[in-house]
Amino acid sequence: MVRILLRFSENIVEQPITAEIILALKVPINIIAAHVNSKGGEVLAEVPDAALEKVVTAYREKGATVSLPKLIEVDSEKCFSCGACVALCPVEAITLADDNSIVFNKEKCIGSTCGACVEACPARAIKSVKQGNSELANDLNPKK
Amino acid sequence: MKKLVESSGVEVAFKEVDVVTTGTFGAMCSSGAIINIGHSDPPIKIEKAWINDVPICHPGAAVDLYIGATATSETQSFEYGGGHVIEDLVSGKEVELRATAYGTDCYPRTRIKTNLTKDDLNQFYLLNFRNCYQRYACAVNSRDETIYTYMGKLLPRFRNATFSGAGELNPLMNDPDYETIGVGTRIFLGGAQGYVIGEGTQHDPQNLNGTLMVRGNAKKMSPEFLHGATFTRYGTTMYVGIGIPIPILNEGLAKKTAIRDEEIFTNIIDYGVPRRDRPKLGKISYKELKSGAITIDGKKVRVSSLSSLKTAKKIAGTLKSWIEEGMFYLTTPVERLPLDSVFKLMRQTEETSFIANVVHAAVTCKENEPIQAIAERIVKQSVNHIVVIDDAGKLSGIVTSWDITRAMAEGRKALADVVTRRVITAKIDEPLETASKRMAQHNISALPVINSERKVLGIVTSEDVAKILGR
Ligand code: SF4
Ligand code: SF4
Repeated sequence: MVRILLRFSENIVEQPITAEIILALKVPINIIAAHVNSKGGEVLAEVPDAALEKVVTAYREKGATVSLPKLIEVDSEKCFSCGACVALCPVEAITLADDNSIVFNKEKCIGSTCGACVEACPARAIKSVKQGNSELANDLNPKK
Repeated sequence: MKKLVESSGVEVAFKEVDVVTTGTFGAMCSSGAIINIGHSDPPIKIEKAWINDVPICHPGAAVDLYIGATATSETQSFEYGGGHVIEDLVSGKEVELRATAYGTDCYPRTRIKTNLTKDDLNQFYLLNFRNCYQRYACAVNSRDETIYTYMGKLLPRFRNATFSGAGELNPLMNDPDYETIGVGTRIFLGGAQGYVIGEGTQHDPQNLNGTLMVRGNAKKMSPEFLHGATFTRYGTTMYVGIGIPIPILNEGLAKKTAIRDEEIFTNIIDYGVPRRDRPKLGKISYKELKSGAITIDGKKVRVSSLSSLKTAKKIAGTLKSWIEEGMFYLTTPVERLPLDSVFKLMRQTEETSFIANVVHAAVTCKENEPIQAIAERIVKQSVNHIVVIDDAGKLSGIVTSWDITRAMAEGRKALADVVTRRVITAKIDEPLETASKRMAQHNISALPVINSERKVLGIVTSEDVAKILGR
């Protein structure tokens, strides 16, 4: 599965775009997190690797912006294991190990749609980073 | 020790254990470093100084400076401060010093700029006037908005809690009567050996809120145990690692050092109330705090530590191995710390203004009143704000003269079309200062004052605030 970040502008936010795409392409799309109001929306979704290109093209055709979500990285050099980030994480992506060091579960983290831990870290050890320069990232650049 | 006392009793533990090592690693704002940078040619008597744009104190003669951990950068604001300067120096990094002076016959120079590392400094001593708090409060927030404090980010309506302190590992918790910790006690400080030089400011041993004043050679310290830090929208500070060996001189000390987290309690405090006496919501043990979740009003609240237990354990372990390897010798204090000092409140000779000092009756209306009637009331009473209340006198909205003007221009008849429902309010015992800040933040000019049942007690306007605070 690949995570993609979808942005819907004010004009299209009321349309059932995701439902239409699921029905048309018959691929499962899993919504991980969503912030939507009348002014627009941001949705983090998970799609099967094989269907990625199809799904991205479909969203673009319907006017949505598609990009790779920024994920969180913890700099283990800087982190001094205080734990300030732990209780703030809404999805329990950060937990404490028995030796009181923190364990970050990348799979669970909903990334830039949340970001709650970033500003809470007194050591500034948590950064919101763009996902690597993989082919995937290039593929997702809007083709003009 | 703790396990040994539990399994074999105090007597056996006293015979078997010579020393218990303790440790703590947390944000300690009242910290800093004294440095002497040597004389320039021609010499300068520094009046103002900055290191990496962080303002530095110049409390003494020409080139003695004090880097306070909480001083913040003039260019990077809260992201970099005195704590970070100290960490950078300790790590061997080069820092930039800028200084200005008025110039005298003996110190003619008026400005200087130079780069320095710790090797260029004559003295570089950590000199912390309040460290090692015996225990600290557990912080929560009752407000409807997230607040940013020295206890970290506190989510609205008790959605998280934070605490600080090492609990059973804290040095002062293991020697609460200061039998072995006193002036001259050699300690682990920031990765090197340092000394207790007295009780810390606000030392309050009778209430289990003891503190220490410490000093140590920062040139020998390590950034692992001395870390600059930032609390978002609060400021900068420094995390300091302290470890203290406690020689088990008698059975009493064997018993005291066996203290467990479940025996150490602290208060849950509502930091949402901006007063000195913040409401206490209950007591909680360090055992519960360390478990990751506590219960407030029957609800589970996730709690996280701000100080590092992992590093605290490492400090206690490091100190233990230093002692075993003969690298660290215990000392007898040359003077006991006071056991009876109390932490007095500030004597305030100028009155502080609270909402209660300026609140006045609000002009109100009911939900079903016609716009016309409200407009008349605005004119007659010459006010800008009408507070909408229900039959029980509880707040249900607010309308301004502008809202009413617009409604009339647009020919609207119902109050419901123009009323603002999400009303920003004030509490009667709140300082005027915070209410004024809230008005500015939301760009509004009045706050209805309500009680805990949302009953309207009155209103304060920005004019009331301006009269008192002069802004
Ligand atoms: S960004 Fe949000 S979800 Fe991800 S680790 Fe931080 S708090 Fe958790
Ligand atoms: S808040 Fe920062 S320093 Fe503390 S445990 Fe989390 S990542 Fe590490």
